[in-house]
Amino acid sequence: MSSHSTDKGPVVDDTAQEASGNSVAADIRISFKRWLVKNLRNPYVIFTSLVQPIIFFVLFVEVFGAIAGSTLSAALGPDISYVTYLSPAIIIMSTLSSAATSGIGLVDDMEEGMFEKMLVSPMNRSAMFFGKVLSEVARIVVQTVIVLLLGYLLLVLKNGAAFDQYLRTGAAGIVGVVLVTVIFGGAFMAYSNIVALVSRDQEATIMFTNLLTFPLVFVSSAFLPLSVLPGWIRTVAVFNPITYGVDSVRAIMLGQDVMTVFEMTAFGGIWNTVVPAVVILVGFNVLLGSIAIRLLRRAASIKVQ
Amino acid sequence: MTSRQTYSQQNAANQSQETDLAIDAQNVTVTYEDGTEAVRGVSLRIEKGEFFGFLGPNGAGKTTTIKSLVTLLHPTEGSVRINGYDTATEPEKVRRSIGYMAQETSIDRELTPRENLQLACKLYGVPVDQREDRIEALLDLVDLQDVADTRSEKFSGGMKKRLDAASVLVHRPPVVFLDEPTTGLDPEARLRLWNYFERINEQGTTVFLTTQYLEEADQLCDRLSLLQDGQIIATGSPGTLKSEFGTDIFEITLENPVEERIERAVQAVRRIETLDEPTIRTTEDGFTVRSARAREAASDLFAALDGTGVSVSDFDVRSPTLDDVFLALTDGSSDTAGRADTGMASLSAQEVST
Repeated sequence: MSSHSTDKGPVVDDTAQEASGNSVAADIRISFKRWLVKNLRNPYVIFTSLVQPIIFFVLFVEVFGAIAGSTLSAALGPDISYVTYLSPAIIIMSTLSSAATSGIGLVDDMEEGMFEKMLVSPMNRSAMFFGKVLSEVARIVVQTVIVLLLGYLLLVLKNGAAFDQYLRTGAAGIVGVVLVTVIFGGAFMAYSNIVALVSRDQEATIMFTNLLTFPLVFVSSAFLPLSVLPGWIRTVAVFNPITYGVDSVRAIMLGQDVMTVFEMTAFGGIWNTVVPAVVILVGFNVLLGSIAIRLLRRAASIKVQ
Repeated sequence: MTSRQTYSQQNAANQSQETDLAIDAQNVTVTYEDGTEAVRGVSLRIEKGEFFGFLGPNGAGKTTTIKSLVTLLHPTEGSVRINGYDTATEPEKVRRSIGYMAQETSIDRELTPRENLQLACKLYGVPVDQREDRIEALLDLVDLQDVADTRSEKFSGGMKKRLDAASVLVHRPPVVFLDEPTTGLDPEARLRLWNYFERINEQGTTVFLTTQYLEEADQLCDRLSLLQDGQIIATGSPGTLKSEFGTDIFEITLENPVEERIERAVQAVRRIETLDEPTIRTTEDGFTVRSARAREAASDLFAALDGTGVSVSDFDVRSPTLDDVFLALTDGSSDTAGRADTGMASLSAQEVST
């Protein structure tokens, strides 16, 4: 056998060959699909994305709704139900919970050795992370739509209201709400990854993201109008991205300017809320995102660490 | 070994490419930020098609060296070319040429074995029409076809290790780095992997292997290097190393082995001139004699023992194993100090071979 093969030239069957690798777009798709499958299989993801919003929504409406009614009427007018008022808060809270898990997946990959496995493969490194981010964006989009519909269902059950009373800007409003949650989520995805990359530890990542994000929801305009809250909370709320996320979603849903921390009149209507809030959220994205990218670069670099 | 020839001939026919080396590391030095010198001037020249072993005690710098070969670590000094590509300037091309099995098992536990292998195929751009066949063959090889569609999170350590091995081989890389690929596997699984490594090596794949099982290195490797404290202390074929650094060993068991009798026998053996500078160690029931000329001096040894009136109940003479070479060369290092007795070392080698 072997003498024959030497005569005719070597047997180079298809065994050893350089890999062809993929285009960047294909790499993004590979990473995106992988994380999508992983997320769908993770019971924790289903819990934070679906079960938790339902629990919070129902509990808050039942408990706070009983006392918030008159406060609300005083602040925003008589025809706004607490369900409608609360929906933006639940939507933003769910986005927050989902975005905060972003770093856990990264740490998990590092602990499992998959991170290193990807690094020695021909996969494009930016594509590797971009695909993961996209899968989390997809999760936020789906989840936002579901929570939005859930809020409407609750409203119908309580008051029997029509959809345009719930979301006053209609179909364009749905797109707007989704876009805001994605931009809002981006900042917290970056934050979560920063914690993950600094701690390199799953428990620490879960702890530090929850520790910061859960109280942050309360020191914002999420549950009650800022005007009825203590002065120190109003001060903290100005620096709290949750305020801007909630305010812009709320402005879109109520179809009116609800900006709670400063007055703006240059853009007209809901834009007086949405434009400055989104600009501030993008600012958070740029700031936290650039730190996260820098840390990721360092984690993925081949320099001696 | 024939495969290596065929492979180099092929390269010669390819109008002698710039290099025939699969791995060409020059003076690789890795110094960590805290000043630890993990690797100190390691140079490796490994031909295409070679099966190369990289041995050394824990902490010798094996894994750090591998990481600098597979583009995970940039050496502080020195240069590395894999398959002709420079790891510093052409890391993407290096990554397309290699498969790397890390010491810690690396699989996606939320995916099934089949999905893990599909992911590896996709990552490396294996043509779609070939994926199915390769995946089936590898699942069969690592004996995971029964659980191919079960999520791998609850697998045993051995199953995960086997899946990991399959996933770094599915794209059939020209150069494969295996960092302790069979640690923790049962003997049957180990043998199957050994056979597979040999098979891909025969088909031209260069294999770079680190292992704790010297038996494994002895069986598989064309050549090997011994690493200690970040430096290569010996390189050669297992046979060369054994004849160069190992010595024959006499194991003698005495009847009624009380201390005084053993001592008397040892004194007599020490006086034998034909045993050129022997190393004698007493054991519980006798003693061992290591000497390059143990075999030639056998009759003198028995004659000397006869003269003492101490009778021998059992004796054994054996050729050096890689364990002996390893111990002789790395003597005094912390990892091997605990088992400095050669008897222990050979025993552990036998255990792994069963």
